[in-house]
Amino acid sequence: MNYKTIMCDVLVVGAGGAGCRAAIEAASHNLDVIMLSKELLGKAHTAMAEGGYNVSLGNVDPDDNPETHFKDTIVGGNYLNNQKLAEILVRDASERVFDLEEYGAVFDRTPEGKIAQRPFGKQSWRRTAYASDRTGSEIMVTLTEAIRKTSVRVFDEVFATKILVEEGRVAGVTAIDLKYGDYLVFRAKSVVMATGGAGRIYEVTSNAQLDVGDGYGMAYEAGCELIDMEMIQFHPTGQCAPPSAKGRLVTEAVRGEGGILLNNKGERFMKNYYPEVMELAGRDQVARSIMTEVVEGRGSPDGGVYLSIAHLPKSIVEFRLESMIEQFEDAGVDIREEPMQVSPTCHHFMGGIKIDEESGTNIPGLYASGECTGGVHGGNRLGGNALADTQVYGALSGESAANFAKENTHTGINQDVIVKEFEKLEAMLERKEGISPADARDELTKLMWEKVQIFRKEEDMQYAVKELRRIEKDVVPNIKVDVRVKRFNPGWHQAMEFEHMVMTARMVAEAAVIRKGSRGAHYRVDADPNDKGYYNIVIRKGEDGKMELRKEDLVITKIIPP
Amino acid sequence: MTKTIKTKVLRYNPDSDNEPYFQDFDVEYEPGMTVLDALLFIQDKFDSSLAFRWECRGGQCGSCAVKVNTIARIACRTKVEPDEELVLEPLEKMPVIKDLVVDMAQTTFRLRRIRPYVARDKKPERPEIIHAEEIEKVREIRKCIECSACLSNCPIVHETWDYPGPMIIRQLARLELDPRDVEDRVAMAMNESIYSCTTCKMCEDICPKKIKIPALAVELLRAKAVEAGYPLAEGQQGFVDQINKTGRAVPEKNPPLLKAIETEEFFVDNPNGRVAFFTGCLIDYRMQNTGKALIDVLNRNNIDVVVPKEQWCCASPAFRTGDLNTAHAAARRVTEIFEEACKKYDCDTVVVACAGCGKTLREDHRPFIEEERGEPPLYKVYDMAEYMIHVIGKENIVPPKGEIKMKVTYHEPCHLGRGQHVFDEPIEVLKLIPGVEYIEDPYKNRCCGAGGGVRAGQRELSQKIATTRKEYIEATGADMVTTECPFCTIQLNDMMKESSTGMKVRYIPDLLAESYRKGDA
Repeated sequence: MNYKTIMCDVLVVGAGGAGCRAAIEAASHNLDVIMLSKELLGKAHTAMAEGGYNVSLGNVDPDDNPETHFKDTIVGGNYLNNQKLAEILVRDASERVFDLEEYGAVFDRTPEGKIAQRPFGKQSWRRTAYASDRTGSEIMVTLTEAIRKTSVRVFDEVFATKILVEEGRVAGVTAIDLKYGDYLVFRAKSVVMATGGAGRIYEVTSNAQLDVGDGYGMAYEAGCELIDMEMIQFHPTGQCAPPSAKGRLVTEAVRGEGGILLNNKGERFMKNYYPEVMELAGRDQVARSIMTEVVEGRGSPDGGVYLSIAHLPKSIVEFRLESMIEQFEDAGVDIREEPMQVSPTCHHFMGGIKIDEESGTNIPGLYASGECTGGVHGGNRLGGNALADTQVYGALSGESAANFAKENTHTGINQDVIVKEFEKLEAMLERKEGISPADARDELTKLMWEKVQIFRKEEDMQYAVKELRRIEKDVVPNIKVDVRVKRFNPGWHQAMEFEHMVMTARMVAEAAVIRKGSRGAHYRVDADPNDKGYYNIVIRKGEDGKMELRKEDLVITKIIPP
Repeated sequence: MTKTIKTKVLRYNPDSDNEPYFQDFDVEYEPGMTVLDALLFIQDKFDSSLAFRWECRGGQCGSCAVKVNTIARIACRTKVEPDEELVLEPLEKMPVIKDLVVDMAQTTFRLRRIRPYVARDKKPERPEIIHAEEIEKVREIRKCIECSACLSNCPIVHETWDYPGPMIIRQLARLELDPRDVEDRVAMAMNESIYSCTTCKMCEDICPKKIKIPALAVELLRAKAVEAGYPLAEGQQGFVDQINKTGRAVPEKNPPLLKAIETEEFFVDNPNGRVAFFTGCLIDYRMQNTGKALIDVLNRNNIDVVVPKEQWCCASPAFRTGDLNTAHAAARRVTEIFEEACKKYDCDTVVVACAGCGKTLREDHRPFIEEERGEPPLYKVYDMAEYMIHVIGKENIVPPKGEIKMKVTYHEPCHLGRGQHVFDEPIEVLKLIPGVEYIEDPYKNRCCGAGGGVRAGQRELSQKIATTRKEYIEATGADMVTTECPFCTIQLNDMMKESSTGMKVRYIPDLLAESYRKGDA
């Protein structure tokens, strides 16, 4: 088995908002930094974030401050957040947004020339910094520009498959060059995982095709602890039609700017659910309200509800929601004149790799940041907190990884482990009989969408767990790639991702089963009223290879749950 | 029965294939289907190893650009036409890795070469005060998602990597416009051959973010270069000097049209309309017969034609090359002349037969005059073919009777099609001529290389672009190529002189007038 080994000091896996920021930070420490990008540089899912970046600058509402941002984040997170981590988020969000400006970001302005801020759901003040409704794209473009200034070596279209752990600490990763199919090993003194989320384990999602949970799967296999995996955010407003656009994000900024939700009777139904905050209730709350309308027969023809911004002046819509105009134009809808049809779509994983205040995992030398981590957002993430998370924890993980790299040397390597990993990948190509990755993926995403969804119940989730265990045992080892070609073979790429998807899905379902009450995004129709749910569920791979789940006490610094 | 789309995909695995080959697939059509949907259908149903890039499916990441029926576009926002064959190929100028996946190394290298980030000489204050108006233009040009489709379509990049292409020139303009950036981006733009762009607008036309790269980047950087004291190329400066001196971009040779005609008024007995004719420099000084033909054609269709005898150049060469003083002075003067003529003769329509002039009047004069005085020019501007089809009305056009038995193709001037959105009208006019067999050129809207000051400033490059264009025209098998721009006509004529095919080049008004005259006999 031939492979090539590449050395570096700090390895960053993932090149979205958090990965780029981590790489920039690590490189500033006079270290050799490699960033692996599964896609081309700049194409990461961060670019699809639309609405904004939460930071309590107080530029439009001077009374805002990090304390209030903290409180909103914890209340919004249904008190499940690790409060130490949330404190860091609100503390550093402002410096990190100024970093972005220093790199060249172009945020929209207030009349005084400061960063403008818009209202977003469940926030006490107008706090969300933005660049029209393409804020994520603005940030991604900025970070791409910034990366091009640094010494960071970018390996794009290189896919990490396994975290290597030697001598009790991280040693690097195995990877494959997707372009040519070469097997690669990256050896590093420290590693940052910044691999994003896993919306793609659901049939309907706002996520890009690359968001399949690689980081969750790899971290689990490596022995990392993961937290809050049952907490999946279904964004209330995803596009309903046409089929190929189903699930595409309709930014919260539409509601932030004054958009209203209507059912098929023309009724502004949010008044029946959350009359005080109406459309700006929490994302989980709005998503459930919409689904209730649909289930009870008050939905729109394409299976959603109406979201209208047509009452606003066209100039405002054109300036602040330009991407939405474009997105719906493609579907033949002029949002300046007519309502959009929207329904919930799988959007964000609140849970993920468990990190400490240094962004470190339980494996020495292994750090993580961005959506692949858990704890910052608790049971429900506020719109606008994810982009802030990528920058705050991206920088922090980069700095911590750099410090670790300065104090440590490379570990040794175990060639057997490496060869075994590559043989596993090779076997997918060589197998004569087996299951196609496309079929396997369809089965998995459908199962998750139907059984571990917005409204959850015991028997569904039990069924999902049973099925996922079967898939892990019977399907994963029998994935077969149709065409035996190593050079840029998407069929093979899908096959390699599939194991990560299954592990991620299993963690979601297994954790969901144990949480018997409703809390945050985890909403059970058969909730046990005695389970108030003030705990976190932590998952790790046990010594015997079995998945271990345990409940942990919340990390509380300031706000005691009611 | 489900409708199927014949889809041809250019396949290539350099590890095992001698050369690229087309493979055909039947794709089940669904309303609203995008090219990305079609590719995913093929991958799902027929071949999971078919290589193409995609990520966001929402026009936000810029991964999925491929050539769709000869023109590069992002697949996720390009609709499949239900009644057309679909031909998918990888982007141009970038080596194939496999199938539709290309190696972007050159693009990345070219980007890095321009130091593509906001360069600063000191740390900014926190918070940094930036006013909305300072970044208004950056905001427009900033939306680029680096899909690279414009590079693939750029006729200049096609000939030479000396020019880094629209996307990268745009990045230079983005940085030049950013008040925080301290680098000399104008010098960099000069170093990156900013004067190589013909302003053909192909990049703008296919840009998924509709960024007006020629105006907001190329012409802006050129204007800054002129302002900074960089000299224009000799040929370009010649045009500009001539405009300032005489109101005409070229020197007089044969008696000009405006001097040769005895009257301003070409009126008919029972007019159905009245227009003022903006001749432009080349029709006045070099193509007098074309000018007469246009008057004749309009008169035959019962339109009064006014030809103001004191006309002035639209100053397209100055707008394109960045001499804004000359350009703006001309815009004011042209507006004054034609507003007066329209007032005197009680009409509100100006007809143009030159694509470059029409584009300049519409896209450059109009916004400039509006901004300067709060009101745009008081007249409407029409291209001649557009006027005939839409104002006279196709059904009211007096049919030309003289037979011209030829296979005729059409070269769409960049500044007529993408510049003025006049696409099919000239072809409709052509088809009115008895005997004409119209032959569609799939590359009809490809730049001939004359515009943007390139013919004047960089003849060699201009000829390379023209040679490529010539080969496409010859490939149609037509006897004649027609067009509606004097500049294109001159350029194509130059090229066709050396053509073994004996391809003729004609201006549409001339051909139309010829048919009318033949019909009289």
